[in-house]
Amino acid sequence: MTMKYLIAEDELELQKSIVTYLSREANVCETASDYIEASEKLELYEYDIVILDINLVTGSGLDLLKKIKEQKKKCGVIIISANSSLDDKLKGLDLGADDYITKPFHLAELNSRIKAVLRRGQFGGSDSITFKEIRLDTLARSAYVNDESIALTRKEYDLLLFFITNQGRIISKAIIAEHLWGDDSDLLDNFDFIYVHINNLRKKLTKAGAKYIQTAYGSGYKFMSE
Amino acid sequence: MPLLRKASKNFLVIAMVLMAISAMVLFFYTQYLLNNSIEEELYSNKDRVEKILKQDQTIKGIPPLMMVEKVNGVEALKLKDTLIYDPLQNEIELFEELSEAKKINGEFYRITVRVMVIESEDILFAIVATFVCVIFSAFIILFYLNKNRNERLWEPFFINLNRLKLFSLKSNTPLDLVHSNILEFHELNQELSILSNKIQTDYHNLKQFTEDVSHEMKTPLAIMQSRIDTMINDPVITDGQFEDLTKLQSDISRLNQLNKRLIILAKIENDQFTATELVAINTVVKGVVANYSELTTQPITIQEKQPITVTMDKTLATILFNNLLSNAVKYNIDHAPIFIHLESSSIEFMNSGLLELEGSEHLFERFFKNGNRQDSTGLGLSIVKKICDYYGFESSYRFRESEKQHSFIIDFKL
Repeated sequence: MTMKYLIAEDELELQKSIVTYLSREANVCETASDYIEASEKLELYEYDIVILDINLVTGSGLDLLKKIKEQKKKCGVIIISANSSLDDKLKGLDLGADDYITKPFHLAELNSRIKAVLRRGQFGGSDSITFKEIRLDTLARSAYVNDESIALTRKEYDLLLFFITNQGRIISKAIIAEHLWGDDSDLLDNFDFIYVHINNLRKKLTKAGAKYIQTAYGSGYKFMSE
Repeated sequence: MPLLRKASKNFLVIAMVLMAISAMVLFFYTQYLLNNSIEEELYSNKDRVEKILKQDQTIKGIPPLMMVEKVNGVEALKLKDTLIYDPLQNEIELFEELSEAKKINGEFYRITVRVMVIESEDILFAIVATFVCVIFSAFIILFYLNKNRNERLWEPFFINLNRLKLFSLKSNTPLDLVHSNILEFHELNQELSILSNKIQTDYHNLKQFTEDVSHEMKTPLAIMQSRIDTMINDPVITDGQFEDLTKLQSDISRLNQLNKRLIILAKIENDQFTATELVAINTVVKGVVANYSELTTQPITIQEKQPITVTMDKTLATILFNNLLSNAVKYNIDHAPIFIHLESSSIEFMNSGLLELEGSEHLFERFFKNGNRQDSTGLGLSIVKKICDYYGFESSYRFRESEKQHSFIIDFKL
């Protein structure tokens, strides 16, 4: 299903990378490089997801968020900000943002946040995600292969969901660590522990007949159908 | 000693000494004058009696003040004090007595004249007492006048001193000093204002600098990160390029960690962790360990006694124990167990090691790194120290020689 994104980000390089990453799934990505452009596009068109930088050169992303909410637009909003302070986060979420991500972030992480927002319902998503014979119930947080339930730990489920969300993309261990453990991942000096979780997941999927986790370039991973 | 009391004390001491000296001088001088006048009176009375005696040998005198007796020889002039019973007043009185025996008209006579001393002593004491009273009250009045005047004179100084004490570098309010028309105070105010403004600006700039730099670094980091994420997904890269790109990714993530920690340090310095509550240390530590056991295969053992509660920000408590545990996990060797001991008012983190760390006094300083660990930001323990300082805890390191363990102890000072 094609989604329409608006990326309001004044750093053109970052904007370009986000567009490249998100366009792969045949999504429509439009961009706005400042407050005025973003505000005009929001007036004229409808989007499924708006990715909003708080510090736009000509105005605050938070003001745009207020506008979106005032106009009761049916779109998900994900704020990206350089400020990691809890106050800013709460302010953004209070104003009605669906998620908040701090710079620097991995594109895979942004993508998985977008998918999570889309799944939450009103933006045309659903509670279940299907990939070939694998089905994930995102409400019950459970996984099925050929409609047979497979027992996954919390981390393994999150990992599988992350893989399916970013299918066909190369995922490095650092990205996985940051996704699964957030801020705590930087407490560690190496990502060896990732092996344990990935191997367990891989074993469980292989046992059920689903071999999709592939190793790429020796130390990265890729979730693919062939 | 406070300035005003010192001034009052000096005044009092000088006043007392002056009063004592002048009272003594007055006493002796008056006594001398009175004695002189008594003697003069005695001599002139004696001369008068002598004169009368030359004309009329029958006079008997008026005892005990004037007496004439016949004696057998000459006696030298003699001045002395004497006690005599006065039948009129029925008591013994002190007299000053002058006597001389002389040959008058062929016979020897002793002439004795006396004056009652009591009277002159009373006068002496009355004079000195009056003097002391007058001088004393003058001093008392002067003392209070002086004190009052000093207080008013120094008032701006004391007000400003108080404001200086209450002045906080951290607050945004400038130092506000009361104006004084005394030149020196005015100059002092000016200098203090300039100095405090300068320090305050510097302090704020310094604080702001770390935070600004950290925030400004985030956008370029995000761009680099996203470029690498895009490149990794390029279909035409080699294994070697992937290796390089993931190395870059991990360097970016190190920079990011460094950044986060600098921001935490800046936030602690800026008093931005204000959600103080009663934190159950045991629960927080267990939470941290549980979270960590998913991230490491190193065995972690907790030993606890009674539960500890400490008043602090819960986020900071978690950061504190995360850093200590992460440190222990990072430097643990031989996969030996990591011990966490919760005592009645302290917590100890132990991991195995070979030798006591060199330069252990610098362990808690910023960017101090023991050995050449690439993955260390050098900020973990300085955050520990900063949190401890902020709440008045004591952090220390020691090496347990017998168990070959590095040990980090936080004393909550409960």
